[in-house]
Amino acid sequence: MNTNDKLKDIIIEELNLEDLTPEEIEDDAPLFGDGLGLDSLDAVELVVQVQKHFGVEIKNMEEGRFAFRSINSLGDFIEERIAA
Amino acid sequence: MNPNTPIAVTGIGCLCAAGANLKQCMDSLFAGRQKFAPPARFSSSHPVRYPVFEIPDEFTFLGCDQKSDILRTARLAVTAAGEALGNAGWSPATMQEKRVGVCIGTTVGSAMNNEGFYRDFRRGCHPEMNAITRFLNSNPAQVIAREFGLKGPCQTVVNACSSGTDAIGLGAAWIRSGICDAVVAGGADELCRVTYNGFISLMIADDSICRPFDAHRKGLNLGEGAAVLVLESEDFCRARKQPARAMALSYGSACDAYHLTAPAPDGRGLKQALLAALTACNKTAADIGFINAHGTGTPVNDRVESKVLYEMLPGVPFLSTKGYTGHTLGAAGAIEAAFTIACLEAQKIPPSAGFTTPDPELPWSPVQHETDVNGATAISQSLAFGGNNAVLVFGKGDS
Amino acid sequence: MRTAIRGIGIVGGFGCGVDKLNSALISGENTIQTIRVKANGRKTEMPVFLCDTTALEGFIHKRALRRVDHYSSMAVLGSYLALEDAGMLQINHQKTAVVIATGYGATRATFSFLDSIFADGDACASPTLFANSVHNAAAAHISILLKASGPNLTVSQFELSVPSALLSACQWLEGRQIDAVLFGGVDEYCDVLGYSWQRFFGSNQNPCIEPLNWDLQSAIAGEGSAFFLLTRDDGDQPKYGFITDIQIGHIANGGPDIAGGTTLFLGADGHKLCGPLYPHYIPEGMRAASYTSLYGSFPVNTAFDMTIAALSLKENKIFATPGCRPNKSGLRISHLEQDLESKLIGCLKFGCNGEFGLVMLAGE
Repeated sequence: MNTNDKLKDIIIEELNLEDLTPEEIEDDAPLFGDGLGLDSLDAVELVVQVQKHFGVEIKNMEEGRFAFRSINSLGDFIEERIAA
Repeated sequence: MNPNTPIAVTGIGCLCAAGANLKQCMDSLFAGRQKFAPPARFSSSHPVRYPVFEIPDEFTFLGCDQKSDILRTARLAVTAAGEALGNAGWSPATMQEKRVGVCIGTTVGSAMNNEGFYRDFRRGCHPEMNAITRFLNSNPAQVIAREFGLKGPCQTVVNACSSGTDAIGLGAAWIRSGICDAVVAGGADELCRVTYNGFISLMIADDSICRPFDAHRKGLNLGEGAAVLVLESEDFCRARKQPARAMALSYGSACDAYHLTAPAPDGRGLKQALLAALTACNKTAADIGFINAHGTGTPVNDRVESKVLYEMLPGVPFLSTKGYTGHTLGAAGAIEAAFTIACLEAQKIPPSAGFTTPDPELPWSPVQHETDVNGATAISQSLAFGGNNAVLVFGKGDS
Repeated sequence: MRTAIRGIGIVGGFGCGVDKLNSALISGENTIQTIRVKANGRKTEMPVFLCDTTALEGFIHKRALRRVDHYSSMAVLGSYLALEDAGMLQINHQKTAVVIATGYGATRATFSFLDSIFADGDACASPTLFANSVHNAAAAHISILLKASGPNLTVSQFELSVPSALLSACQWLEGRQIDAVLFGGVDEYCDVLGYSWQRFFGSNQNPCIEPLNWDLQSAIAGEGSAFFLLTRDDGDQPKYGFITDIQIGHIANGGPDIAGGTTLFLGADGHKLCGPLYPHYIPEGMRAASYTSLYGSFPVNTAFDMTIAALSLKENKIFATPGCRPNKSGLRISHLEQDLESKLIGCLKFGCNGEFGLVMLAGE
C-alpha cells in the first residue's frame, strides 16, 4: 500500500471518521480548517499515528503545520524522513 | 445568607515544589526560586526529559516516609488541610462538633491509573489488589473528612484544571446556604507518568522551564501539590475571635462550549466568568489590585487570557505563578488562591516567573518585577480542559 | 429548597428513554447480559448490565460524535433524552449549567490510554484518549454539543457522587446565575471492574440482584446514565414534581432523618458490606421499594432511583418491587403495583464506609 493510501486509512480509522471512504479524501485537499475540517486535537493525534505507523517524528507543531497541509504534503514529508 | 455575602478565610495550607508550607512557598516566590528538573520519582522513554516541579523528598507530609494505604494525592491534601486547620485555630474537638464540609478538586486523585496493576492485569498475571483498594480509600475529600472527623458534606470536584478554584467557590456557597458552619476547600494532585505522558502527547509541554506570556513560550511544565483554605461565615469567625486572613467575595464560572482541549479563541467563557464574579461582589476593574492568571505557558492559553484581561481589566497588573510551581492541575486553582491571599496580605506580588520578552501578539503582559499592590481586592482565575473557566474574587482580611 | 424536575432521560441495560424504563418497571424483567472475564486462573461467565447508545445517532450526526466515547455517549444520550422529555431540546442553552456525578469516571478511556502506552511506548500515547480520560469529558461534550455556556461541574465521590453533585446543582439554580441545570449521573462498566469484582467477590451464582437479602453478595455490575432537566420552582406544577431536600451524612453521627409518610427507594444493590445498614437505619414497617435488580450495581444508581421516583410521582403510583425471593426485610415492600400513599419519596443510598445520601422528592 502506498503512503498516501495508508495515511487515508489511518485518518479514517484513528480519527474516527467512519462516515468517510478513502476515495472521498482528496490528495491535495487541505486537511485542517476547510477541506477535511480536522482540528488541533486531530493534529496531535496524527503526530502520534505517524510516529506509530511510520516511525517518523514530528518534533513540534511548526513542523506539523508544514507537513499537514494535505495528504500529499504529509506523504512527501514521511517519505523524505524515511529515506534520510 | 445573601448569595453575595463575603465568606471569611481563616486558615491556609499549601505545599508544592516551592515550599512545604505557605510561608516557605511565598519566600520562594519573592526570592525568585524555581525548582524544576526532570522527574525523579518516575522515568519515561521519551528522548526529551521534560522538566517538572516535583515535591522534594525532604518535604515531610503524611505518610511520605512509609508505605501508605492511601495515594500520594490524598496525603498531600490531608497535609495541606492540617496546616490550614491549625492556622485557622480549630481544635480537633471543635472541628468534630460543628458541621464542617470538605470540597476538594483533583484529577489524578480520582483516577484509577496504576500502571503496574494494569500491566499485570493485561498480561493475565494475578496482581495484588492493593492498587484497587488504595484507590477506593483515597478519594481526597473523603480522606480529609475521615482524618479530621468532619461531619459535613463531602465533594471531590473533577473539573480538570479549574477544580481547585471551583472547589473553593462551591464550598463558600455551602456556607452561604447555611448547610455548613465551615468548609475545608482546596485542591490536590500528584505528579504521575500518566499525566506526564498525556500532556506531552498533546504537544503542550515545554522541554525547558515554562515561560507564561513570554514571546518565546512553548508550553507548560507539570507540577504537584495541594492547598486548602478554611472557609467560615464572618459571624462564626468573629464569635470565636479568629481573624480572617481574607474574604472570599465571589465565584464566577462559565463554559466555553467550544472544544475538548482548546480554549475558545474569543475567551467568551472567561469573560462570562469574570463578569459573573465581579457582578456578584459589585466590583469593577478599578477595584482590582491584581490578577493571578492561569498562565500555563502554552501559546494558546496565554494568548486568550491576555486578550480577555486587556479587554475586561485594562491596567490591572497580572502574573502567572506557574513558573514557581508548575501546573499542578486539580491543585492549581487552590494553590493560586492561597498565593493570591498571601499577596494581598503582603500588599505586593512577585514577578511573573519566566516572563522576559513581551509577545507582540499579546495586547497585555504580566509584571516583570516585584510590584506593590494598589487595592484591597484580587482575582485568581483558572481555565480547564473541557472549556471550564472559573474565577474567585478575594478581599483583604483583618490584617 | 425546591427544585423542579421538568424532564428525565435514562440509559440503562433495559434500553433508553422513559418508555423503556416504564416497560421495565411494569414487566419487572431484567436484561442481564453475560461476558467472559478471566480471573483467578480461569475464565468465568459474568452477568452484567450493558448499555447501547445507538439511539444517540437519532439526535446527533455521527460525525459530530466521532470523539464521544462510550462513557460520554451514555451521558450525552441521557441529557438529550431529558431535554427532549422536557420539550427543551431546541432552546438557547446559554444559561444552562451541566452537572455530572460519576463514581469512577471515564475508566475505559483511562485504561485505553494506558494501552496506547503499553503497545507502542510513551511517545505513542494517544492524546485523544488522554483528553477523554479526564473525568469531566462527558460534561464537556454535552456543553459543546448543546452550546451550553453555563457553569460546568463533575463530581466523583463514589456512592455519594449523586447527592453531592445535586447539592451544587440546586445551589446554582438558587443563585439565579443560570436558568436550568442538566443534572445527571453516569458510570461505565469496564474489564478492570469486572476483573476486580471476580477477585473481591468471586463468581456470582445468583440469577438476579436481591437487594433485600441484606447479607447476600448478589450485586451485578451495571452501567448507564440518568439525567434530569431541573429549574427553579416557578410556581407551576412541573411534570415530575420537586427535589425538596438532600441529606449527606455518616452513620458515625447518626442515621438519615426520614420524614413520616415517606416511601423509601433503597439504593441497596446486592453488596453485603453495606446491605445490613438499610434495615438498621430504616424504621421498621416503613414503606419501601427497590429497583436495582432492573438496572444493576454502580455508584450513581441513586440517579436511577430518582428517575423512577420522578416517574412514580407523575404516574401517581409505586411500581412493584421486582424480586426473586420472599421479602424478609421487615419493611413494607410490595411486589405489586400500588397507589402512592403520600407524594413523598426518598432515594436512600449507603456507601460501604457508612456514608449515606438521601434525596427527597415531592409530587407537589
